Amino acid sequence: MSSPQQLPKIELPGIRNILAVASGKGGVGKSTVSVNLAVALQMLGNKVGLLDADIYGPSIPLMLGIHGQVDQGTTPLPIERHGLKVMSMGFLVPPSKAIVWRGPMIHRALTQFLTQLDWGQLDYLVIDLPPGTGDAQLTLTQTVPLTASVVVTTPQEVSLIDARKGLEMFREVRVPVLGIIENMSYFIADDGKRYEPFRSGGGKQLANDCSVPFLAEIPIDSNVAICGDEGFPIVAKHPDTKAGQAFGVLAKIICHELDSIPTNIPLPGLEIT
Amino acid sequence: MTAVPKRIHLSRNEVLNIEWADGFISRISISKLRNGCPCASCREENEKPSDPFRVLKPTEMEPLRLIKMDPVGRYGYKITWSDGHDSGIFSLEYLREL
Repeated sequence: MSSPQQLPKIELPGIRNILAVASGKGGVGKSTVSVNLAVALQMLGNKVGLLDADIYGPSIPLMLGIHGQVDQGTTPLPIERHGLKVMSMGFLVPPSKAIVWRGPMIHRALTQFLTQLDWGQLDYLVIDLPPGTGDAQLTLTQTVPLTASVVVTTPQEVSLIDARKGLEMFREVRVPVLGIIENMSYFIADDGKRYEPFRSGGGKQLANDCSVPFLAEIPIDSNVAICGDEGFPIVAKHPDTKAGQAFGVLAKIICHELDSIPTNIPLPGLEIT
Repeated sequence: MTAVPKRIHLSRNEVLNIEWADGFISRISISKLRNGCPCASCREENEKPSDPFRVLKPTEMEPLRLIKMDPVGRYGYKITWSDGHDSGIFSLEYLREL
């Protein structure tokens, strides 16, 4: 059996906090949460970057209104949009093209995105992980000094099962999990009543079961999707909606929690006596 | 969750000492460490009966030395040995148990 590939550690001294946003399952709205959280953090006055680590299915460019490939000759990367510095594979390939890569190439791409672009000094770098517990996640947790992670789920049991796996992955690699974000929790209908079409309480239950904080319920609001498709995140466009407010409050909680983590002390190196 | 090591030192190339944050101190001989390599090929080798007629490689003829011990993320260490072997990743939990 061949040796595992070398995984050199990446140093990112200009970035104060690196937050990974994960979900066990696809389709729970993780990228929407990543984008709105990043913008909400920026609206609090922070310098924020957003890395779309989903090489196979990058969705961040659309959500920020960035269309088509980027001409690197004229537009430096990372791209600045809505106050964020953003990088995605989606800037380099057309949406119709499928990336068919194996692990080592994913690792190389993500490493390049992190180390060869000028992110400048950032207070927060939000990394939108692809769903699951595969190559991108392994690369990032082993080589990047992640400060912490959050796990996004919907209330249903079927997404909770996968969210649990995402959580366990972070436990295994000792990345602190700040908590669970439950997306599509509920919506407020025209009658003013709260409806829970995807069941309820799942996120809180997961948080309890895994002894991590429950951070937020993000409501269903058709504006979230409209804003996503239009490329103008709801927290910036409609901050007073329930969803906009939820992201705003979430950003404050995340700032507080990240500031409470003692400075990441790396593992000690070997001394030879 | 296992404590985190505060200090790791190799003394006289014989014993790896790990001072853990909770005060516990591990002292592991390097032969025990090498024989306990958790990588898949070593585990497979260890399960086979040893072959007294196996020709030793030149790197195995020299005394075993621990060359490098690099952190992997925040959960373990990769050890590089003088016999050329370096595919084992020793998790903190595993080191604690040795």
